Amino acid sequence: MNDRNRLFLTGLWLIVTLELRQRVRGVSWYVLLGVFMLLVGIVTFLLWLATSAWLSGGGGVFSTIIFFVLLLGTLVSPALSGNAINGDRDAGTLATTQVTLISTGQLVLGKFLAAWITALAFLAAALPFLIFAVVLGKVSLGTISVSVLVLAAELGVIAAVGVGLSGILSRPLFSIVLTYLMVAALSLGTLIAFALLGTATQQEATSVSYQVVESIYDEQTGKQSDIVCSTPETSTYNVPRFDYFWWILSANPYVVVADAAPGSFDAGGHPTDLFGQIAVGVRSAQVPPELYTEYNGCQEAANGYADRQFDSGPTPQEIYDGAVPSWFIGLFIHLLLGAGALTWAWRRTRTPATHLPSGSRIA
Amino acid sequence: MSVTTVFGSGGIVPSGIAVTGVSRSFGSVLALRGATLTVPAGSVTALIGPNGSGKTTLLLMLATLLTPDTGTIRINGHDPVTDPERVRAVMGWMPDTLGSWPSLSARAALQITGRMYRMTGEQAAVRANELIALTDLVDFADRPSRVLSRGQKQRLSLARALVHSPGVLLLDEPASGLDPAARASLRQLLRRLAGEGTAVLVSSHVLAELDEMADAAVYLADGRTASPEQVAAAGASARSWRIRSLDESALERALATPGVVGALVLVLGVDQLGTLVQVENEASAAALLHNLVLSGVPVCDFGPAVGNLEHTFLDLTRDRPARHSSVVVNPEVTP
Repeated sequence: MNDRNRLFLTGLWLIVTLELRQRVRGVSWYVLLGVFMLLVGIVTFLLWLATSAWLSGGGGVFSTIIFFVLLLGTLVSPALSGNAINGDRDAGTLATTQVTLISTGQLVLGKFLAAWITALAFLAAALPFLIFAVVLGKVSLGTISVSVLVLAAELGVIAAVGVGLSGILSRPLFSIVLTYLMVAALSLGTLIAFALLGTATQQEATSVSYQVVESIYDEQTGKQSDIVCSTPETSTYNVPRFDYFWWILSANPYVVVADAAPGSFDAGGHPTDLFGQIAVGVRSAQVPPELYTEYNGCQEAANGYADRQFDSGPTPQEIYDGAVPSWFIGLFIHLLLGAGALTWAWRRTRTPATHLPSGSRIA
Repeated sequence: MSVTTVFGSGGIVPSGIAVTGVSRSFGSVLALRGATLTVPAGSVTALIGPNGSGKTTLLLMLATLLTPDTGTIRINGHDPVTDPERVRAVMGWMPDTLGSWPSLSARAALQITGRMYRMTGEQAAVRANELIALTDLVDFADRPSRVLSRGQKQRLSLARALVHSPGVLLLDEPASGLDPAARASLRQLLRRLAGEGTAVLVSSHVLAELDEMADAAVYLADGRTASPEQVAAAGASARSWRIRSLDESALERALATPGVVGALVLVLGVDQLGTLVQVENEASAAALLHNLVLSGVPVCDFGPAVGNLEHTFLDLTRDRPARHSSVVVNPEVTP
């Protein structure tokens, strides 16, 4: 490591520790973590009961705790990171840092890392319960590592968006609210957009059926002969086209975590954890509806229903395996969003400043 | 005026602050219009101007936080726009807003600031102790800074500007909020730093105080610095003198006598502190005193009613456009 990198990292770490000492030290922070642990504990216990985890394994408990950490992380992180830069500007401590040998890059990255570490503290607090879920059994190493890593990445994205917006906008309240709106847009907005767009894009589907009007049934062979067929009966109805919009869901952080985890299915092809259920749901939206169906009762009757399939459709596992995974697209978009927010914040915070946002003092 | 200092191996590095023709606008507001000033190393220069005259804007530019639209700035020979890091290493800035990390103690804040200037933890701790003693914060050093009073925060802010022993010191309203004792020690400290070779630029509204510590003054009005000729003219212009006598009626009589008061003297009136007269220049003031003493008036106090800086400042800001036409850089506003 050369001298320049060492200087950069020393300064970066100084900002990280300063941020952590400034923002999250204190009794209230530990109370918050304690309340979080209590909640996760209650949720774990109830899930243990609800999923009969002592028989079915810890997959359900594990996946739900991961989602719970994601939920809490997305609820708390914007408040802790959304005023990192403009809050310092308001408090008059930003400019006094900027006149030192700390660079804007160190300042923005340091604040981001501190916000990320803060969010990861929730993951750490949930660790005992995650270990408990693993001990219950049937949670694969792949699921554990992938879901924890993707969860950590998603928490990092929220921290980056929060810190980024705090550098882009001059008012702390506004940037915190906008960070929450970003989180809501990704978590809920994608669901709403998917449902509305899918149902609004109705398409007409046609089904044609031929029915047996008259036939002679041979009781000995069980076959029909001299079949008189009806004229084709055509009916039309509207079907929603969710398959056009399934990609919207890939931007949902919960979907990213669920879709990334390797699918885990039981012998009947049913998912054994929440990740699998969500992933199957999302991936089944990729399948286009059939716009033309034909039912020929006469033909079936003629060959004695020999090739009639008493088919209940594909199993969830078949749907899962037959569709395209989308989590890396979603994760890539999120990482791009986080990196973009930080870059923009860096540009806006750089000194000497050529441009001041209206009404803001840089001191 | 160019001030140069010879460093070690014989290279000549200009030191102090040199600002030439700096302008800056914020949208349609022209904050600075061709400000020009020099602060040589080893001196204290006062930056004086009414509210909104561009003092803070100028200091922000010197502190590498803001780029000028036009003009050049050199801090110890370095350009804050193209080489801010070099400037930051030699420049200390005390802002007019008192910002401190609220949950950190003064000691921790100074140590962290030291480490921001790439000191080791040990060096920063030693320096923090020195500065705590220097700024008289010993009793409050380990309390979180949010409980400090305004004056204490002000001293912490000064200490922070001094962490890396800068060769150029920029102070924006350093005396506001300080009690008289703290003001006196600030004055001594700045004189001492200047004696050690620091270039100090102080902006303040308390003109009487600057009078006592500044070697030179820069007057800023409407974003323009007054030229030396204007300052000289304003300083020499008619000003008020205050006269106090043990026998007020004798003074009154003498001032009413035609021979005593010369053509260049105008009696303004009497207030609680004495009699105010307007005197054209120092020579006519001396003549007036001479005549009063000759007439037997027991004069016990005879001096300018306002300090030098204040007099110049008030005179420069009075009927500004006509006086300042020579330093206007924006042709549209030239009368």
